[in-house]
Amino acid sequence: MIKNNNIFYYLYKFSISILSFVFLFFILNFQSSLSFFSIFEISTPSLISIGIYLCIVRFNINPSNTILFLTGFLHDIMNGNNIGTTSIFLLLFRYFISSIILEKISEKDQEEWIYFTIIFILSFCFVFLFNLIINFSIPEFSPIFFHIGITLILFPIINISIDFFSFVSRLIKN
Amino acid sequence: MVSGKPSNIKSFKNSKKFNSILILLCLILVFLGKLDLIAIRNIKAFLSDFLAPVTFALNKPVEEIAGVFEDVKSAGALRQENIRLKTEVRKLKVINSKASSQELELLELRQLLKVLPERRNKIITGRAITAPGGVFANTVLINVGENNGIKVGQPAISSLGLVGYVVNVSLKTSRVLLLIDINSMIPIYLTSSNWPAVVKGQNGKLLKIKFLSSKAEPIEGEFVQTSGHGGRLPSGINVGKIVKSFSGKFFVKPTVDFHRLTYISIITNKDILPFKSKKFNGFAPLQKPETSINLKGLNLSGKRVIESPED
Repeated sequence: MIKNNNIFYYLYKFSISILSFVFLFFILNFQSSLSFFSIFEISTPSLISIGIYLCIVRFNINPSNTILFLTGFLHDIMNGNNIGTTSIFLLLFRYFISSIILEKISEKDQEEWIYFTIIFILSFCFVFLFNLIINFSIPEFSPIFFHIGITLILFPIINISIDFFSFVSRLIKN
Repeated sequence: MVSGKPSNIKSFKNSKKFNSILILLCLILVFLGKLDLIAIRNIKAFLSDFLAPVTFALNKPVEEIAGVFEDVKSAGALRQENIRLKTEVRKLKVINSKASSQELELLELRQLLKVLPERRNKIITGRAITAPGGVFANTVLINVGENNGIKVGQPAISSLGLVGYVVNVSLKTSRVLLLIDINSMIPIYLTSSNWPAVVKGQNGKLLKIKFLSSKAEPIEGEFVQTSGHGGRLPSGINVGKIVKSFSGKFFVKPTVDFHRLTYISIITNKDILPFKSKKFNGFAPLQKPETSINLKGLNLSGKRVIESPED
């Protein structure tokens, strides 16, 4: 009986992992294809970081390290980035969420936006510095600022829309 | 509201070590990728070939929606666009009539100087599968590959000018490194003053001018073309225009709109010259045409010169 339960548990875990992989992969591709819109010509927002943050902090869905690594790896190959750059960002992002939010201020109501900003900028800065070393040249700063700015602007909008939808669904239920 | 659930905290603590190991592995992967090993290049080529249909399927709906938005946006400005196009057509007609007479003159001069005819470029055109978005890389995947005769290093062009060059080839797809990418460097010359230089991408909209002589005085709006130095790219392909920044520095603005790239042509007959240090004597810099008379009544650039009676 216990054995059977274990099998079901692993199957459940496996299906969750597959679903989160498909979800993250879809978000990453959607994020890249946003550059077809003239508004995102300079750079596209980091929807993946918003998605991961909301999954972990709000919905208690915990994408595994392997899933993040694989998603980033495939994205790098599809977009022609240096292999591993996106994976580093995603893994660092998850690491900072775990060390800043879940360990230090767990179970407390805090301003989500500020923590998202800190975590996003920290992980982005690390990857940016790493890219500077790898490429040995300084890139133009306007796409980088746009990338950070538009992500930080979009985060509260997505957050409020989720709140709104949950409020409406609760209203309908009642 | 932050809701760090205890189950989440426990799972995070357990996976922290694994997280660090994976980050280390990624760092090693980046360095290995940068070394440009053949094995890694082949894996990349195989996977991009394998994932190309997925990428295309995922990008297509967004591309179509973006196209609809652009159409709606441009519909409002149709009248103004029409007026602008009419004036442009009038200007082009005048230029065309001048150009046809100058072409005849050029042909005659070529015959007179016994200039060898230029080899016609063989071109293969492919459709861009991915969008060139990215903070750290600007590349485009196209749906033509080794099967169509594409090789690494071949130049990619559009109707407006140079797009970049091929950096990775698989059987059915190839990856083009765009001019604006930080790893791209193209030898160019300034069309008005003939000064050679190199343009480097910055992952932004403008290209940095490098190795330009201190004596050179670029003119704002001056066209920039490939010089063909190094034998990697053919000469005379449009790259962009000179623009001046607020700080007074000169940059090159590419003529190609990289976000509207649908079809990209690859010049396939351009053989990549191997670098041979023994025979290499350095590149001769382009010379500014002298005003001295080469043919009677003409200077080196083919313009008519009126001789003064003292000469």
